[in-house]
Amino acid sequence: MLKPKQMSRAVIVGHKNILEETVDALHKANLFHIEDFNEDDSDLKIGKPFESGSEVSKKLVKIRSIASLLGVKDVAVEKQSPSEICSQLDSSLDKLDDELEILSEKKRVFETELKELGSSKKDILPFIGTDLDLDLYRGYESLAVFAGHVKEDIGPSVSQLTSSYELYYDQHSGVVVLFVSKDKAAEVSELLARVSFKELKVPNLSGIPSGLIADIEQKEADISKKIEAIDADIEALKLKYADFILASNEMLSIEVQKSEAPLRIATTESSFLIDGWLPTEQYAEMERTVNTATNGRAFVSPLEITKPDIKKVPIEYDNPKIVSPLQEIMNLYGRPTYKELDPSALIFITFPLLYGMILGDIGYALILLIMALAIKKIVSSDAVKPLMNILIYCQISTLFFGILYGEFLGFPLAAYHGQPGLLPGFDTIDLLATPFPGEVIGFPLHRSHLVMTFIVATVFVGLLHLNLGYAVGFINEKRKHGISAAIFEKGSWFVVQFGILLTVLGYLEMLPIVAGIVVFLIGVVMLVKGEGVKGPIELPSLLSNSLSYTRIIAVGLSSISIASTVNLIAFDMIWPPGSPIGGMTIFAIVVFLFGHALNTALSIIAPGLHALRLQYVEFFGKFYEGGGRKYDPFGYIRKYTEEK
Amino acid sequence: MVTETVTMMDPAGLQAIGAALAVGLTGFASAYAEKEIGTAAIGAMAENESLFGKGLILTVIPETIVIFGLVVALLML
Repeated sequence: MLKPKQMSRAVIVGHKNILEETVDALHKANLFHIEDFNEDDSDLKIGKPFESGSEVSKKLVKIRSIASLLGVKDVAVEKQSPSEICSQLDSSLDKLDDELEILSEKKRVFETELKELGSSKKDILPFIGTDLDLDLYRGYESLAVFAGHVKEDIGPSVSQLTSSYELYYDQHSGVVVLFVSKDKAAEVSELLARVSFKELKVPNLSGIPSGLIADIEQKEADISKKIEAIDADIEALKLKYADFILASNEMLSIEVQKSEAPLRIATTESSFLIDGWLPTEQYAEMERTVNTATNGRAFVSPLEITKPDIKKVPIEYDNPKIVSPLQEIMNLYGRPTYKELDPSALIFITFPLLYGMILGDIGYALILLIMALAIKKIVSSDAVKPLMNILIYCQISTLFFGILYGEFLGFPLAAYHGQPGLLPGFDTIDLLATPFPGEVIGFPLHRSHLVMTFIVATVFVGLLHLNLGYAVGFINEKRKHGISAAIFEKGSWFVVQFGILLTVLGYLEMLPIVAGIVVFLIGVVMLVKGEGVKGPIELPSLLSNSLSYTRIIAVGLSSISIASTVNLIAFDMIWPPGSPIGGMTIFAIVVFLFGHALNTALSIIAPGLHALRLQYVEFFGKFYEGGGRKYDPFGYIRKYTEEK
Repeated sequence: MVTETVTMMDPAGLQAIGAALAVGLTGFASAYAEKEIGTAAIGAMAENESLFGKGLILTVIPETIVIFGLVVALLML
């Protein structure tokens, strides 16, 4: 806790003919963070991947393409033994590939057919209004046929030109079919051009259009059914092979990872050299594993961690399980560096605390608590679980502050100065007068009636939090640069604050004011010595940072305002108390539910972001550097296969 | 003859206007700053999705301005 795991650097050296065994053993142990080798001027060269590699990666590509084609999802399945999969891999893979190929080929053919039918249907559709046999449109010696779209009925104007004609006009679609003798064709086409005639191509089919369309629709339905049947077959294939696909994907991925390992390793003509990191406590275990796998022919030797190397040490958190969800918040900002204090355990307390102080409502706490527990149960994703755990921690704190503030969905639980509360008979107990007129501290604490008190109180909460930050900064600095640097860089802030406190006491005429000013100036001088010119420039941040904590009350009040406005609209304006139950009651309940659903969503975002920001900007700004590398051991966490 | 009428503004009203200006103007300021940061954050995220967390944090930093405005408004009322 409070410190990343202690790491050791180790080098594994051996003859090339035991490289494969060594890599196997390391992969199985899943402990060793391999430091990738970059070729330099020395005689060391990057290794060549194992021979089996290309074959395996080909298979992997195949299985992944099948998986994406079938849409196989990551689900929990029974673990299978790799040797079994290995024995049936080739045959099953080929069989699966063939079956899938046949099915998708069939599907493709049907889909093309469907497309062709669709396009001929589109061609015939305009002629359905006139519904003449399509054979009637062609094969005349003395007749000209015009078929197409027009904007208006051309009957009257054609009749002025000639009397021997046959005209079909479908007013609905604007399609016209006109038969005239050929000697009038030129004049008619001139006339048609004036009414923006757009010619239609007569489909090369015979039969009545309506009959043809019915035929096509019948065929389309048949083909759709066939495609559905194929889809069902593919789905069945997916169900049958899902376990196999997941397991073999995992197995092949592992094989590829192993066969490509030499690309990260330094080699000479006949030997190899693996450089990397591992947690110190597991050093002996790894040494033993490598020795057993190679009969003691590979040598593991520790390497001293030099000063420039400290920045490169991969970081593995070392926190109790209950704190571990907060590591996600750390990762979002950046892992701690090796010599730095890991603040996960601190924000495990401060983050939910600030969140609870902001939200502080029993109703929302219960809703969000149930929601988080349900999501945690339903969703098995590893990414969601820590977030839900953080939400649960926050809601526990919110529940505590909700009881302290006596709030339930924006309603006050206790009566306050004559205004009734939600619980009959529960009256506010006055405990302590404050310097602010009209504000009395009691139980429960009515935030909206204690604004000034809360503004002052939250600034003090801020000062406590900031000083915790300076204290951690002091420890970090001491570890990195020694005690004197720590005193000047971080200790000076305590002196400055103490000076300000004494000055305030002096102002209140409890002390000579000079004492405070002297202490303050000593603090500033120390700060200049510790941090240079930058120090005094940062002095005002003491004020702005601590005032920033007033957001605890400000955001809290805005949440109360939204909630009580919803309550007011629902149960005062739409359905006033005392009025009969009716349609308005339902409306009021709908407004109530929607309003609070909205505010529940806001209750995650607003207090969450603000509590997070207070950690990241105000708190971390005092001590945290971050930017550590993730400890990523060479290995694989098996989900679908199990090694015997 | 011209009579001069003296109009008095209600002090409570002026107080309310002051509070409204405090919240409103700081709200604008926060929004303007967040707009600039937000655009840049989205741009950075398009390049590298893992920057979401940092982008989010940077985007809410100017929120302090409006929080101060809100606190001042609360002090006025």
